[in-house]
Amino acid sequence: MLAIIAVFLPLAAAILAGLFGRQIGDRGAQLVTCGALCASAVLSVFVFYDVAVLGHGRIIDLFTWIDTGELQVRWALRLDTLSAVMLLVVTLVSAMVHIYSVGYMAHDSSIPRFMAYLSFFTFFMLMLVTSDNFVQLFFGWEGVGLCSYLLVGFWYDRPTANAAAIKAFVVNRVGDFGFSLGIFAVFLIFGTLQFDPVFAGAADMAGNTINFLGWQVDALTVTCILLFIGAMGKSAQLGLHTWLPDAMEGPTPVSALIHAATMVTAGVFMVARLSPLFEYAPTALAVVVVIGGTTAMFAATIGMAQNDIKRVIAYSTCSQLGYMFFAAGVSAYSAAIFHLMTHAFFKALLFLGAGSVIHAMSGEQDMRKMGGIWRRVPCTYAVMWIGSLALAGIPYFSGYFSKDTIIEAAWAAGTGVGTYAYWLGVFAAFITAFYSWRLLIMTFHGSPRADHEVMHHVHESPGVMLIPLFVLAAGAVFAGAIGYEAFVGEGRAAFWRDSILVLADHDSLGRAHEGVPEIVSLLPLIAAVAGIATAYVFYMLRPALPDLVTQRIHALYLLVLNKYYFDELYDRLLVRPAMALGFGLWKQGDGATIDGLGPDGLSAVTRDLSVRASRLQTGYLYHYAFAILIGVVILVSWYLVRVVG
Amino acid sequence: MPVVSVPTILPALPEILTVCSAMALLMLGVFRGEGSTRLVSWLAVLALVLVLAVALARGGDRQIGLNGMFITDGFALFMKVLVLIGSAVSIVMAMAYNERERIARFEFPVLVLLATTGMLMMISANDLISLYIGLELQSLALYVVAAFKRDSAQSTEAGLKYFVLGALSSGMLLYGCSLVYGFAGTTNFAGLAAMFAEGNASIGLIIGIVFVSVGLAFKVSAVPFHMWTPDVYEGAPTPVTAFFSVAPKIAAMALFIRFLVEPFGALTAEWRQIIWFISVASMLLGAFAAINQRNIKRLMAYSSIGHVGYALIGLAAGTETGIQGVLIYMAIYLFMNLGTFTVILCMRRDGRMVEAIDDLSGLAKTQPALALALGIFMFSMAGIPPLAGFFSKVWVFLAAIHAGLYVLAVIGVVTSVVGAFYYIRIVKLMYFDEAKGVFDRPIGAEMQAILVVSSVVIMLFFVIPGPLLTSAELAAAALFPG
Amino acid sequence: MELLREYLPILIFLGIAVGLAVVIVVASLVVARQNPDSEKLSAYECGFEPFQDARKKFDVRFYLVAILFIIFDLEVAFLFPWAVSLGRLGLLGFWSMIVFLGVLTVGFIYEWRKGALEWE
Repeated sequence: MLAIIAVFLPLAAAILAGLFGRQIGDRGAQLVTCGALCASAVLSVFVFYDVAVLGHGRIIDLFTWIDTGELQVRWALRLDTLSAVMLLVVTLVSAMVHIYSVGYMAHDSSIPRFMAYLSFFTFFMLMLVTSDNFVQLFFGWEGVGLCSYLLVGFWYDRPTANAAAIKAFVVNRVGDFGFSLGIFAVFLIFGTLQFDPVFAGAADMAGNTINFLGWQVDALTVTCILLFIGAMGKSAQLGLHTWLPDAMEGPTPVSALIHAATMVTAGVFMVARLSPLFEYAPTALAVVVVIGGTTAMFAATIGMAQNDIKRVIAYSTCSQLGYMFFAAGVSAYSAAIFHLMTHAFFKALLFLGAGSVIHAMSGEQDMRKMGGIWRRVPCTYAVMWIGSLALAGIPYFSGYFSKDTIIEAAWAAGTGVGTYAYWLGVFAAFITAFYSWRLLIMTFHGSPRADHEVMHHVHESPGVMLIPLFVLAAGAVFAGAIGYEAFVGEGRAAFWRDSILVLADHDSLGRAHEGVPEIVSLLPLIAAVAGIATAYVFYMLRPALPDLVTQRIHALYLLVLNKYYFDELYDRLLVRPAMALGFGLWKQGDGATIDGLGPDGLSAVTRDLSVRASRLQTGYLYHYAFAILIGVVILVSWYLVRVVG
Repeated sequence: MPVVSVPTILPALPEILTVCSAMALLMLGVFRGEGSTRLVSWLAVLALVLVLAVALARGGDRQIGLNGMFITDGFALFMKVLVLIGSAVSIVMAMAYNERERIARFEFPVLVLLATTGMLMMISANDLISLYIGLELQSLALYVVAAFKRDSAQSTEAGLKYFVLGALSSGMLLYGCSLVYGFAGTTNFAGLAAMFAEGNASIGLIIGIVFVSVGLAFKVSAVPFHMWTPDVYEGAPTPVTAFFSVAPKIAAMALFIRFLVEPFGALTAEWRQIIWFISVASMLLGAFAAINQRNIKRLMAYSSIGHVGYALIGLAAGTETGIQGVLIYMAIYLFMNLGTFTVILCMRRDGRMVEAIDDLSGLAKTQPALALALGIFMFSMAGIPPLAGFFSKVWVFLAAIHAGLYVLAVIGVVTSVVGAFYYIRIVKLMYFDEAKGVFDRPIGAEMQAILVVSSVVIMLFFVIPGPLLTSAELAAAALFPG
Repeated sequence: MELLREYLPILIFLGIAVGLAVVIVVASLVVARQNPDSEKLSAYECGFEPFQDARKKFDVRFYLVAILFIIFDLEVAFLFPWAVSLGRLGLLGFWSMIVFLGVLTVGFIYEWRKGALEWE
């Protein structure tokens, strides 16, 4: 019952704020949504305690959704450790973001709409994480996509925001297409879309083949890869990542909630939720590792060269998602979820901190125009430090526990792809630390680069924005230490129970605990510290050095600065041909051919015939008589020819 | 003195009553002078109502009279009722109009009565001779009323054109009759039917049928014998046009049906091709030529050509359901047309008639009731459910499908789509365009009554379709004994 | 040829008609005395000039009188055979003609009252 209330409170708040925003006013909408979310978060704590700690996992059946012949789908809430963790993370971060938004969006003209969207999003996210079947999962999946679209394009009077919203939606459709195919494949193979029977039957299906596009392929492998394509879209993995940086056009709280803490991690959640499937598809797991590891590295390198404070964090998110995926790929699902949780705290913290900076700088987002403000915004400065320390994986901050576990697990997996991921992970850790401190130094230190007017207005954010920052900072500091033992430590089996399945010979976490070489576990930390040091040298001690380096490796720099030209490539390869095709079909296909031969053509012919027909009516009597005679002659000759001839 | 048996004249009682009242009213009018027009008109209406009552009282039993020249049956009764309603309403509609146009002469109702007599005779004709007598009696009266507005060049032109072409068509019809007689040796329908039941149809006979059909097709204004219709409809005084578009058409259709089904029922396969051809041609021309019209009366002319095409679909089927379809079609057509012409008669601005379609612009804002009524008629003519016009079309299309005439049904549907364009354009003009000015008011109590009755019939037909469907079924059954 | 032979009587009729017309015209030219005077050259009572284009307009009143005349002319044409065979027709034949005459009389009264028979 508590769980049902926790899930549906945000929906009720969204409806109230969205449809009756005019009646209850800005303040009313803020109170309703924040109140609902806080209540939901508190309830989630109880649910978490009940389900994850006491072990009262259960499935709450709500009502029938689809019941046609072969296909039965029910609305239900699946409560186990995995969904309880997600429930807690989502409601907690969402509640903080709601409160933060009260301050951040104070000057906006459509506050009820914003708050309603946020709550609506939270509802869909909760539907997603508590789903008990693929269809409900897909419902939540599409719902968060919709809300993401609405929120990225929230400032609809900005063309860039609209473009970004459309881009986010369209790129996600590519992933969703794979996801739907995956769901179809699941139904084809198992004949059901409920999780339990599918998971139960997965072991028997291992090694079976199905016909896919004319090839006989391993059933589970192709299914899992298709599902993973969906996850790639939602979680902005290599190839389908291009929408995430652009999505920063949305208000900063949106970036914190959707594009850092929750929605983008849905892909990771999905892989973990479907671990009973993925475990029997080793090839698919290898694909997950390669994509995840490559993304971690690739996105981090782009992050080095970006100047927009939010974009740096966005690429960082992309990179951290890569970590989570390769953790899942080496069967360390619990580590992936652990990192998902810690990341939710410190990345939301970083985004909200960045929002606070932007707020202080009168909307400026370019780090080259910041600097020298740390004394004016001490609280923001402090929480940004905490977030960065957690992100870089400095000991005893939360990121340290989760990230190091992941990297160790990758090594311990002992597979080729695992080792590949390990080295990329270590190197990415170095870059992560580097760009984090580059961000800190460029934003807060040095001489002020903003103009006098802006500098004059720099101020600390109001309390309503700072409190969520402190809460999240606390999470960023302590979540790792508190959760380590239960999530990935010795107590993990008792904690996760049967919500995550890891085959015995895939147990990379277990092997990591049995012992990896000292240097393997120390290397990420060394890389991180080295990264911080490099950043200090580059941006604090020798400010001329970055320019020097970029000139030396100019081509490489341009490549990274321009995000490996992915957008340009897609534009040339996909967008423009598609637009050209669409334009051609519109003008030539629909306009000229279908309209021309269809409605327009027919009506033109009709008009023409009409003019001709009325021209027959000359008004001359002898013409009329002639017409009668012609008619007689036609009829008579018709019969003569037929009967006589 | 040798005894010659007195033929039964009782079946012809309605016709005798009509013609006697016509003569009586003629005498009344000529002795009372021009001032008696209104009186004569109302008496003519009364006479028609009386005849209607007599016809109904005599019932629809099959009776042969006048030495086999004359027949009454359920079919004749059904058609006579329609014709009598059409004639009576036309006289009512004409009264106010004629007075305004200064052509209020007592001859008008008398001529309508005489024409009605002719129509009743056509409907009851059971012999080529009585067929021709009825047809000519009707036509001669109609030629005169077409030119009734003597001072108008248009009206006299209409009358003259109608007369010349009508004479031509009568000639064709007579020539056909003589061919039929020549090859069959009898003019009596029953005799002809008996001959052809044995299946000897020579080519000369078929040519004869063709010529008679041409004459009848002229009367129902089916393409390509329709050329007079637009000119006469436009030129004749509007109440006369209203009269033309209903009563003579229904009578000619009745004659057409009886002529083809009774004596030549065995030759259905042969004459079906004629009907098929003129039906298709009528539907096509009715649909296409109407689009380009600017004058509402001309539009109605093409509209009536189209409607005749649809009605002929049922005849082409040649089956009992087909004939039932034609009867339903003509009955509903009667109400739609009378209603529409009532609205056209109300198109008066500053005491002058206006006839352009554009003059209807914005009618919904100035005279919403009038616009609503015309909208109902237009939608019904276009065949939009649930109005009556939809069902009338459905019936003939169904009959065609049952008879295997798929092409005909498809052409019917396609042309009714084209036709819908110009009907609904009028609705668009009335409801979405700027008003051009107000029509004169009041329109008169009798006009209001006609409008209300006809629009209620059109709108509510689908609620109580029983009476019409049943009586049409009975009437059609009368033509297919056994 | 068989077909044409059936039309031979028509050809003969045509020949007779043409021949008769020629004979009449030539005979009137050759046999009759041509002696015009003012009385002979004056207009006929129907208003036509004796020598003139046939397609000339004339007063519609002549037309009206002619039409009204034809009706009763035809009535007489019906009456002759009727009268001759009345003995065989019996009462029915008698009354039929009476009704016919009655109808015509109604028409006659109408045209009289309407003034169609007045010249002015």
